[in-house]
Amino acid sequence: MKKDEIEKLITLSSDLRWKIGDEFHDSLAEGIYADASEISNASVSRANEKKKFRLDSKIDSIVTSKTWGFPIMFLILALILWITIVGANYPSAMLSNLLLDNVHPFLKEVAANIGMPWWLDGFLIDGVYLAVAWVVAVMLPPMAIFFPLFTLLEDFGYLPRVAFNMDYLFKKSGAHGKQALTMSMGFGCNAAGVVATRIIDSPRERLIAIITNNFSLCNGRWPTQILIATIFIGAVVPSSFSAVASMSAVIGIAILGIFFMFLTSWALTKTVLKGEVSTFNLELPPYRPPRVLKTIYTSLIDRTLIVLWRAIVFAAPAGAVIWLISNIYIGNESIAAWTINFLDGFGFLLGLNGVILLAYIVAIPANEIVIPTILMLTVLVTGVTGGEGAGVMFELDSVNATGDLLRAGGWTLLTAVNLMLFSLLHNPCSTTIYTIYKETNSLKWTTVATILPIIMGFIVTFLVAQIWRLF
Amino acid sequence: MNYNPVNALLIFFGLVLIGYLLFRPKSGWFWIIKNNLKSNEKIIIEDVLKQLYHNENSGKEMNLHDLSNSLKFSDGTIVDVVKKMAIIDLITFNGDIIQLTSSGRDYALRIVRVHRLWEKYLAEKTGFDKTEWHDRAEKMEHKLSHEETDRLASHLGNPKYDPHGDPIPTKLGKVASLEGEFLSSLKVGTIGRIIHIEDEPDVIYKQILAEKIHIGSQIRVIENNKERVVFYAEGQEFILAPIVAANITIALLEKEESLEENMARLSSLKDNEEAEIIGISKESRGDGRRRLLDLGFVKGAKISIDLKSPLGNPIAYLIKGTSIALRKDQASKILIKKGVKHGK
Repeated sequence: MKKDEIEKLITLSSDLRWKIGDEFHDSLAEGIYADASEISNASVSRANEKKKFRLDSKIDSIVTSKTWGFPIMFLILALILWITIVGANYPSAMLSNLLLDNVHPFLKEVAANIGMPWWLDGFLIDGVYLAVAWVVAVMLPPMAIFFPLFTLLEDFGYLPRVAFNMDYLFKKSGAHGKQALTMSMGFGCNAAGVVATRIIDSPRERLIAIITNNFSLCNGRWPTQILIATIFIGAVVPSSFSAVASMSAVIGIAILGIFFMFLTSWALTKTVLKGEVSTFNLELPPYRPPRVLKTIYTSLIDRTLIVLWRAIVFAAPAGAVIWLISNIYIGNESIAAWTINFLDGFGFLLGLNGVILLAYIVAIPANEIVIPTILMLTVLVTGVTGGEGAGVMFELDSVNATGDLLRAGGWTLLTAVNLMLFSLLHNPCSTTIYTIYKETNSLKWTTVATILPIIMGFIVTFLVAQIWRLF
Repeated sequence: MNYNPVNALLIFFGLVLIGYLLFRPKSGWFWIIKNNLKSNEKIIIEDVLKQLYHNENSGKEMNLHDLSNSLKFSDGTIVDVVKKMAIIDLITFNGDIIQLTSSGRDYALRIVRVHRLWEKYLAEKTGFDKTEWHDRAEKMEHKLSHEETDRLASHLGNPKYDPHGDPIPTKLGKVASLEGEFLSSLKVGTIGRIIHIEDEPDVIYKQILAEKIHIGSQIRVIENNKERVVFYAEGQEFILAPIVAANITIALLEKEESLEENMARLSSLKDNEEAEIIGISKESRGDGRRRLLDLGFVKGAKISIDLKSPLGNPIAYLIKGTSIALRKDQASKILIKKGVKHGK
């Protein structure tokens, strides 16, 4: 074709484009729908669908009603969390009995018999193995209970109704109603919660849900909260109320997390995220009987095992680091002791201490090992008798003994309260950070999601500590 | 240093205050310094050109005094810049009236083109709020090069109008005409369509937005006097002050080509009512609009309310056999015709 002909063609096309105007896409969609309905009218015969429809709308009129909508929702969520926390205790105890109390000594014995040098034995068995075993024992059972339950609800079709009910509240902070679901999923595991944000198809709201998922107290943090609340909060009230007091403290922290989630969502929409595209729509699919076996299978494979695998991959090096810093000496102090001394001043400002800060640094891979690490480090720096040796994480059988050890480490009620706050407001675990990066594909948003909560944690614990000390 | 919680708190709040003063939106010191560093001659020249262009288009003549009144730069700077612009043949003096030369006019058109294209871009491809489009475009118009502008235009499909209804000049400087009359000048009973909403001054634009008046809406004037202009559009009555109404341009329609009088917004649909969709308002843009079309919110589709959420918003609508929840502000941008017979 000659050059001027091509140019003529281009001018013609841009002229035509002007003439078609903005309605172009509308007409196209209309045309497609018109054709589609013609085809379906001609070829599809509808059976009696009315009956099923009536049942659907009956369920809908209850679960989205003004009186029952919210109570049903909270009841179901509370029930799932309760089953998860209580139900996970037994398998967790069994697993930790097996992996920590039996396999670990056995491995040590084998290592001693084959004459493995002490440092290799410590590095591999006390460091790497123990961290992995711990994560498996604490993480696997709750996830194996929580995710199938959640997936069953999803399969049944109830979850979109929750999003529908909650949307107005989330809209006020610029978020999507479906964030209620990813937030609840975050109570199980933040990494899984971040993956679950795929159900939000609006880019801006999805980013909000990803960044704020960390404010849902995850399975790895519930045990920490419960333990610390039992030891310190339960102790300030008469013993008959201690269970109630500590339980409400933990629930209070979880609710505070939801508050921070709304606050951050709102702040993000008003600032860094306001340029992102926002579209809303929510389909309410018909209910259907859940396929129990398939659900259990897929939720175990898709959610539990993948998340567990990632956690193990990250926990292994963390175990190694924990062992190394406690066993490598500079001068006559271990690296851990040096760091703790260094961090103590800053820790004091936050109403925490160096041990806690160091534990949170080395336990970035998994929140599950925070408490064992704190106990080990406390023994290391205070020189109290007990524990399993430098770099070997442990937990005590009795809550009282744990309390005594922590008090010997200089803990007060303020330390406990601030630890609970800091456990809620700190960077996501490395599994979650990695997942955020995979989902957003952006270094910028991963950094925001990582740094933002820890800054909030610093500010909140700092303010609490100062105000506490004023009185 | 002695530790004391009061000192610690004081230092903390001191830092927060400094951070706030430096970085608060718009008037933070950091932004002010940053803007001053960038505020160079090119920007001033382009702002002067744009000002002259708009005034010449509306038939107003400007002298140096008017110019410095309408721009936020100091008088000295403007005098310097105007001198220079006369030398490089962008403007000429006719007495004390300043006029654009043809090259000045071309340059001004290019700036206007970038401004309107960028507003279109913000409307279609980003989530920025309407109220921010103008200010952001004001900054961007000084930044984009020729090639970037052309690429932007073709990326947007060479649009004819910006989201306010202003024509976008083409690459060759062609400007589509905007033929309409100001709402404030229409007689009672006139039927027309909103084709343009002026986004300056800000105060009036925000009032129009607050009324939820949508571009592209069909209107009928009910009352027009010195106190107020009342018109009927999309099933609702709107009342405006004449000065506000003057910022809305209407294209007149013949009575015959006017569409249904019982057109309404989907947000006004009640329980147990059934309606037919007429279309989606021009106010619904970009991905959001495409999404609605894909879900089946197209002309002729039957629609009714399926469910209301406990807090009243969103509402799930039954369309093409599925239940889809929309928020109120979205539903207000879908136009329906009520009173369709109950389908089976």
